[in-house]
Amino acid sequence: MMGNFAARFPTDRRYTPNHMWLGAQGTAMRFGLSAYAIRLLREIYFLEWSVDAGATVRQKDEIGAVESSKAVAALYAPADGTITRFNADALADPSAINKDGYGAGWLFEMTGNANDAMEPAEYLRYLETSWTKAQALLKGQAA
Amino acid sequence: MSLLTVLLFQSPDRAPRRLALEESILAVLAQEPDIAVAAMPPLYDLTDSNADLASLRALTDPLAALAWLYPRAIHWTLHQRGIKGRVGKTQLDRGGESASPKDQTPKDAADAPARMIWSLDLRDGDTAAMHVAEIQRILQEVRTTEPRSLASPPIQNPKSRIQNPPPSRWYPVIDFARCNHCMECIDFCLFGVYGVDDDAHLVVESPDNCKPGCPACSRVCPENAIFFPMHRAPSIAGAPGAGPDARKLDLSELFGAPAAVQLADDERNAALAGAGKETKPKDDLDKLMDALDDAKL
Ligand code: SF4
Ligand code: SF4
Repeated sequence: MMGNFAARFPTDRRYTPNHMWLGAQGTAMRFGLSAYAIRLLREIYFLEWSVDAGATVRQKDEIGAVESSKAVAALYAPADGTITRFNADALADPSAINKDGYGAGWLFEMTGNANDAMEPAEYLRYLETSWTKAQALLKGQAA
Repeated sequence: MSLLTVLLFQSPDRAPRRLALEESILAVLAQEPDIAVAAMPPLYDLTDSNADLASLRALTDPLAALAWLYPRAIHWTLHQRGIKGRVGKTQLDRGGESASPKDQTPKDAADAPARMIWSLDLRDGDTAAMHVAEIQRILQEVRTTEPRSLASPPIQNPKSRIQNPPPSRWYPVIDFARCNHCMECIDFCLFGVYGVDDDAHLVVESPDNCKPGCPACSRVCPENAIFFPMHRAPSIAGAPGAGPDARKLDLSELFGAPAAVQLADDERNAALAGAGKETKPKDDLDKLMDALDDAKL
């Protein structure tokens, strides 16, 4: 159903509909891109944040952007809350996201409630159902 | 006598770090005999009545512009102020080749004189040395390609800091290398910002009618030719990586972007709702009075 998609999804964390993973980090939540997102983007070489650490955001606020060898994408807040910290290493060298997206390539930490975060199994089902839409987007634009 | 004119457009915010960077770049470049350097007020906030703009418009020699804006935003804001030229490739921008304005001639090519304009984003280098090195590289390029001395430095204002920056503005800037003059934006905007010139080409006719903070029309443009350099979202401010690039997929929707048209409608309605409460835009009489003041009769 998903081409030769074979990326794995660690079960020690949850996933948001906008393809980020989140895990507890002290009192905050740490976010990064899911393997699915990274797979779509390929080699990421540009990362930028348009808000500062400490910023209060609403879910779906645009907070930054990535560019890769194949694509560009704006990044959106996965939840209502306050962004407490960005990963300076990933900002300095976005290739960390490709190398270790679930570890050293994390993106930011925030406090708040990620109400629509999904368990891994649920996220996989979500990927299946949204794959048609993703494919349309890919094909529509690649044409 | 000089070979290259360098304009440093100051930051609209007076952040000490930015001031310091500006000062040290100006100080170093002032020592370079082949460069005529000038400090200018914040580029985006300049109005057409600025006296230095008038002399710059007449100038047809190579130009390097440094500002706290994305390179594309610098190039097309200058273009909108009547300072036009071809896009010079710079090497400082972070996003690689796609970071500078696209290397293509504007669709209305007659509009673009042969002179080169290099646009440098001051946020792309933390030290004065990085920017100075890039200016030196550009100067070297000018030496090898068009080693022609400028008759006289065109700028009237001194190399010192401008004390009173103009009030901030808000209006769309058009990338005419992308615009196909489809006029979607004219139909969409409810505030008469856009107009058409005699050649049936799009013009930003009444920029100051635009609603501060409203970026709505940037989302309806099929060519992604409209940007708002001061918008906090990089993709709307003309960022290198984020601006949907014709050669790359824009995956923003997968990452949570609302469908663009929906968002644009929401923003336009918000601007409309707020319009009644805002201080009324200057009427034509006020504008005439301002113009008279500026003319210094
Ligand atoms: S919608 Fe875009 S392409 Fe069409 S006229 Fe306006 S700026 Fe140009
Ligand atoms: S941002 Fe809004 S007010 Fe300004 S030109 Fe676009 S649609 Fe018109």
